[in-house]
Amino acid sequence: MGKIRIEGLHKSYGSNQVLKGIDMQVQEGEVVCLIGPSGSGKSTFLRCINRLEEITAGRVTVDDHDLNDPKTNINKARENIGMVFQHFNLFPHFSVLKNIMFAPMELGKMNAEQARTTALRLLERVGLVDKAESFPSQLSGGQKQRVAIARALAMNPDVMLFDEPTSALDPEMVGEVLGVMKDLAREGMTMVIVTHEMGFAREVADRVVFMDGGYIIEEGAPEEVFGNPKNERTISFLEKVL
Amino acid sequence: MKFRKLSLFTISLMLLMLTGLSGWVRDAAAEGAPGKTYVIGTDITFAPFEFQDASGKFVGIDMDLLEAIAKDQNFKYEIKPLGFNAAVQALEAKQVDGVIAGMSITEERKQKFELSEPYFQSGVVMAIGKNNDSVKSYEDLQGKKVAVKTGTEGYRFAESIAAEYSFTIVPFDDSAQMYEDVKTGNSVACFDDYPVLAYGVNQNNGLKIVTEKEVGGSYGFAVNKGMNQELMNKFNAGLANLQTNGQYDQILEKYLGENASQPVQQSRWGLIMESLPALLNGLGKTLLYTIVSLFIALIFGLIFGFMKVGRNRFLRGVATVFVDLFRGIPLIVLAFFIYFGIPQAFGFTMPLFLAAILTLSLNTGAYVTEIIRGGIQSIDRGQMEAARSLGLPYRKAMIKIIIPQAIRIMIPALINQMVITLKDTSILSAIGLVELTQSGKIIIARTFASFDIWLVVAIMYLLVITILTKLSGYLERRAHRG
Repeated sequence: MGKIRIEGLHKSYGSNQVLKGIDMQVQEGEVVCLIGPSGSGKSTFLRCINRLEEITAGRVTVDDHDLNDPKTNINKARENIGMVFQHFNLFPHFSVLKNIMFAPMELGKMNAEQARTTALRLLERVGLVDKAESFPSQLSGGQKQRVAIARALAMNPDVMLFDEPTSALDPEMVGEVLGVMKDLAREGMTMVIVTHEMGFAREVADRVVFMDGGYIIEEGAPEEVFGNPKNERTISFLEKVL
Repeated sequence: MKFRKLSLFTISLMLLMLTGLSGWVRDAAAEGAPGKTYVIGTDITFAPFEFQDASGKFVGIDMDLLEAIAKDQNFKYEIKPLGFNAAVQALEAKQVDGVIAGMSITEERKQKFELSEPYFQSGVVMAIGKNNDSVKSYEDLQGKKVAVKTGTEGYRFAESIAAEYSFTIVPFDDSAQMYEDVKTGNSVACFDDYPVLAYGVNQNNGLKIVTEKEVGGSYGFAVNKGMNQELMNKFNAGLANLQTNGQYDQILEKYLGENASQPVQQSRWGLIMESLPALLNGLGKTLLYTIVSLFIALIFGLIFGFMKVGRNRFLRGVATVFVDLFRGIPLIVLAFFIYFGIPQAFGFTMPLFLAAILTLSLNTGAYVTEIIRGGIQSIDRGQMEAARSLGLPYRKAMIKIIIPQAIRIMIPALINQMVITLKDTSILSAIGLVELTQSGKIIIARTFASFDIWLVVAIMYLLVITILTKLSGYLERRAHRG
């Protein structure tokens, strides 16, 4: 499980059209990196995949859930779609452990014992077992983001969405977060990542999607898009960032 | 657990409403029944007609007369010391059955009320500061300020000659304040009924009388037209009996005669100690009204605060109207409206405590609503998004993630609001609530010791507020740690 299908997606804020018709499919286990200049609509697009943004037209389907169908239980659907934010959004009044245990327990997925075991296993995976009892304010940016990833994984989702996960980090901390993400990709997680880390995209992505002005301009394997871009706008963007 | 707490809130709220309701239902049911207890409104500071003695009992010519008449005519009554203006308004609003407050019989009042046979012949005199030798007649008032009490004969008289002698009128709500204004020199003179001023001078209020009595009106007891005719008949009959059997003269002699009681010479400290029980009692009332009102305001605040951050446009509108309305009306106007206005319009009796608590809770509730809205909206949007993205429903995310964080942000503002509400209870003295400020006023009406009593009252407020603030600060730090 972990299939995403997007058809004819439009999104406007009032008269401001942000997404102007997007079609895309993501296969199970596929890692897709969304790149493009700021304001191109890539974050908005990502947020439509778990309906943090209400769409204006089109259809977003994750596995069997048509997210915008009124009959869909959106909370149930979201349990299967993990999300990692640029600004971490850890719960500051909870310890690291509680941050991770909270959702599975609150939603009746696990009892306290199971949740604790899971949380500790995930913390080990992101290398932060010793921070279990710390509070988010005591962590560095990179540590916070790794906890945020563990928190999303605790619900055992089939899809993970990453919204510029390293943009708010000091450069020396980018590596530790990307490392965790690489491991995830290797384990077969379906991932959609909005990123400015071109090196990471080239190395990890199965497919790179270049967006600009609310459209998908060009997409393909990383060596295609980075090595041999066809569209003028892609070329000009890559010239600036590489 | 959540539910239990919520239902506890609701139950207490309903209990409160019920006790309030039963209060006026009982009053209404008692109407006309034999052995009915009449509620009589009066002034608080109109010595020698009504004032509180050192033991806290209401005494004075009016009080003694009423007591004697009630005995003679065999009826029961209950005194409500409201202040003159409030008493008259309470009568209009049918909150009391009658008013005895040294009320002059005027054509205007005859239009509105049923007035008894005159029971006292009065007249207006002018008084000035004890050490003032420059003012001897009305001519000397030119360009000066003159203190008067609203709604009195003294006011009407001053008004009638203000243009002729070109002085300015400064109105006050009670005699003590009026005397104080003259003593401190803000006003050069004051006008009041002869017996009142004479008594005050007798009690060392710091003034002296410099004019002859203007031939004035007489005092009468008032009820509403067409209501309580029986009470009026009894009053007139009892008054006639007292005048025949000499009791009437005895009462007047007691307060106005040569042998009228002189004030006991008392040290300032002794006076303060003597006043303490009454002041502490008032302080207790202040705290009680503050706590109950805050509690209800918190419930209002929670309901309307969540309506304001919610997604339902209609509920948002309702909450906005609530806040704008009760934040936009001055507390004293709201108190008058609830205690005098609404009962008059709908013809029922509103218990004072209910009016006081409603006023404070609605006003405070409007502010608490804004505090809660602000607290919730100050939490970063990402918190809600993170919670929702994990699959949490809106309510759960609100309760477990947003509110706990918002509360920490709200605490200082809520403490601030608590202090404001505590101080605002003093405004309710205007509708006769005997809280700390009113207790102070009553004592000063008897003793004229403004400085000492207001100092004690101020210190009491200061102490209580400081203690509460420190305590809250301690709790706040704990909440942050926990």
